[in-house]
Amino acid sequence: MKICIVIPLFFLYSLFLWGTQVAHGELSKSEMSRDEAVKLFADANEKYLQAIKLIASKNLPEADHKLKEATEQYETILTGGFKNGHIYYNLGNTYYRRGELGKAIVNYRRAARFIPRSVDLSANLRLAKDSTEDKELSTEIPAIVKRIFFWLFFLNQNELSLVAISLYVLLMVVLFFSNVCKYGGIKRIFIGISSVLFIVVVSLGLKIYLERGVNHGVIIASKCEVRYGPGEEYEPKFEIHNGAECVIEDEKNDWYRVYVKVGVKLGAGSEARAGEKTGNEVRSGWLQKKYVDTI
Amino acid sequence: MRRYKFYCCILISVVIVFGYVGKLCAQDIRLTATVDQNILTLGDQLRLTLTIHGTQDTAPPSFPVIEGFTLLYGPSISAQTRNVNGVVSVSKGYTYVLQPAAKGKFTIGPSTVEFEGKMYSSQPVTVEVVDKSRSSDPQAPDLEKLVFVELSVDKNEAYVNEQIILSFKFYFQKGLPVSDINYSEPTTKSFMEEKLGDQRQYEEIREGVLYNVLELRTALFPMMSGELAISSAKLKCNLIVSQRRGRNTSSDSYFSDAFFDDFFGREQKRYPIERATNAIALSIKPLPEEGKPKDFKGAVGSFDMEVSTKTQRLKVGDPITLSMSVYGEGNIQTIQEPALVINKEDDFKVYPAESTTQITNREELLRGRKVFSKVIEPLKPDLKFTPAIVFSFFDPRAGQYKTITKEPIPITIEAGEQELPIQLTLSHDKPALAKRQVQLLMEDILPPMTNLASLRNQGNPVYRNPFVMGCLLIPAVAVIASFMLTRHKERLTSDVGYARTRRAHAVAKKRLNGALSVLHQHRQGEFYSCLSKAISDYLADKFNIPPASATEDKVIVLLQQRGVKDDIVEEVSRSLTDFDRRRFSKDSGTWDEMEHSLKRAEELITKMERQLS
Repeated sequence: MKICIVIPLFFLYSLFLWGTQVAHGELSKSEMSRDEAVKLFADANEKYLQAIKLIASKNLPEADHKLKEATEQYETILTGGFKNGHIYYNLGNTYYRRGELGKAIVNYRRAARFIPRSVDLSANLRLAKDSTEDKELSTEIPAIVKRIFFWLFFLNQNELSLVAISLYVLLMVVLFFSNVCKYGGIKRIFIGISSVLFIVVVSLGLKIYLERGVNHGVIIASKCEVRYGPGEEYEPKFEIHNGAECVIEDEKNDWYRVYVKVGVKLGAGSEARAGEKTGNEVRSGWLQKKYVDTI
Repeated sequence: MRRYKFYCCILISVVIVFGYVGKLCAQDIRLTATVDQNILTLGDQLRLTLTIHGTQDTAPPSFPVIEGFTLLYGPSISAQTRNVNGVVSVSKGYTYVLQPAAKGKFTIGPSTVEFEGKMYSSQPVTVEVVDKSRSSDPQAPDLEKLVFVELSVDKNEAYVNEQIILSFKFYFQKGLPVSDINYSEPTTKSFMEEKLGDQRQYEEIREGVLYNVLELRTALFPMMSGELAISSAKLKCNLIVSQRRGRNTSSDSYFSDAFFDDFFGREQKRYPIERATNAIALSIKPLPEEGKPKDFKGAVGSFDMEVSTKTQRLKVGDPITLSMSVYGEGNIQTIQEPALVINKEDDFKVYPAESTTQITNREELLRGRKVFSKVIEPLKPDLKFTPAIVFSFFDPRAGQYKTITKEPIPITIEAGEQELPIQLTLSHDKPALAKRQVQLLMEDILPPMTNLASLRNQGNPVYRNPFVMGCLLIPAVAVIASFMLTRHKERLTSDVGYARTRRAHAVAKKRLNGALSVLHQHRQGEFYSCLSKAISDYLADKFNIPPASATEDKVIVLLQQRGVKDDIVEEVSRSLTDFDRRRFSKDSGTWDEMEHSLKRAEELITKMERQLS
């Protein structure tokens, strides 16, 4: 009877991992060694710190030059296949210093996928979001959801995978001992562990879907017109600005179909008071790909 | 006291009656002439109704001059009073039934009526009398005339984003019961659309026939220039027509009056009707580039603007909320906020505006109001005015751009209070005068992460690690192996047949070893007995039969049933016969021959094990 549970469980789990591996097809083997990456990273950090000193001494052109160099070095590490949350975070900082809020937010968001517990990252992301013109354009998950499903936001994808694998191994050990020594209470332990494993595997699938299945984008141009259709011939519908976050639904040639959440006031115009935000409205439209960077 | 009450009642009644009559007198007086059909055959009857609208207190209208018809009877008089949303309308109708006397086209001349010294006349009505009905079914009504639809726009040429009113009208002859109305809207691709009001219902006279009209109106806003099309609208409904119950013979003419119809009842027939309008082509012009203001953001229509602020006296850094209300005709939803004219960038800090939209009128045209609440912060104490506000739009009626400029609003700004410095330690010299708060001097991003030890490639998924793959495979294999082992042990103890089968080979080997020791003791007869027993007991174990019943004939049959190769079966038969013969014979062979027999028995059991396992 137990074999009927173990074998499907094992195959389902293997299938799931195979699926995730397919989803990660783009993650090719790193072309850059760790030593090279560390060297470049240290060098870029040094240039960033020099730029901060130059900004303090009001030498802005030289500071900008240093920041540009630091940006290029961080980008080189990342394009070399060496991905790390700290690199994305530092890259976000350099873009923020250079006034490119959209690119800063993109890189902070990418960093959050690797280092979700970083307090510094949360603070910088909040500051960058507060500096954007469209503050009300928000794709933030409500705090209550974050508290209830804390493990989803506390662990990154690899950490969650490790938890799942550990639970799987534990489950197998329990099954092994239940075969070897017939102990009555082991059934309860088996049910408990398999329930937790189920929740963790579902959470992992959900995390992968949220990070890979849904395409999030950030506006990287100073101003961007969202049109009624995929072409210049369509009239503009509304405008969004640098740093605004959107969800990409579809694409056609050089255009993305996106939707954004816009804060709106409800009620009659005469009754509404300034600053009284009472609801959200989802607006969709088409914008050119060159204005968006995907997370 | 009772007398006073009586007078009061009389007074109130008089006021009500005179008020009502006065209200009626205020209505427009008009006289209309309508017919129930304008194409009929010689055998048909024509109902002509002269209706006086606005009063019931007139003499009957004059009977018009009618050629080609004779008056059968009339007039039958009907008075109607309607109260719709407090608006009272009265009318009085005089209906005549006419019989056509000849074929041809005839005009029913105008009828006249006099009311309070004024003459009112009706419009002439043209009626055609034909030889016979065009329809194959003489009782079937001419549905094309009874019910039709129209789709129209108020203009065929417009600018991008200009308001166009699309009107769909459903006409059905007055008095016709229509049911199950199903309306399919036209496709308005490349337009933004907004429904205008509720469905309208009124009466209209077309070619002398009175129709009920249902009208649906939509405001359209073209989103692009060029030749745009609005597809046809469709309507399906059922027309319920009362007909006499199959009494078409001439003898029935005696019974063909209203009395017998009422007595026998009339048959109600449903005619499913489907109508489609024509498609509409529109020419949409782009907005002219000439004279386009710099602050123009695409508003098209006729708009005005109001600007207000709640506070005019404030301190440096205090926010002012400018309420900019743009209202008028046009696509109010898509209007962008008016522009602020700020002379120096460091005069004011400007925050993005929030807006609310309200549609104020949907009856004739789409009118609305959009209020933008914009917060600005004066950064200098010497500022005297808010920025001027400019809103530009394109007026399609005038064919030109217009700009509304609202002058700056005067404000008085006082210098802000001096902020207390941050105090990290308590000073004993000065008493605490006020509640002090730590102020955030500057908000900046946190420094970069420089920990090189933690720098590792996080891009590789953890399950690509061979150790992890091993963690997945090895426990599963171990669990399956432990399960199979446990099951095997359980069967060995509980299933005798299984246990004998599994142990048969090992037992046979032991017996052959026993035969070898017997051989060394030179007990030839016993040696062959051991060999024979080893083979027959091995087969008895394999087939789970008692050793005593494992005779040569039986084991041969069982081996053949299990599909063992014929040469092995023959060898088993030959060996068993040979061993039995030598067992009881004096000639038991040489030492070499006995060793050979032992080897043959061993090989035979191994071959059978391969075949039977």
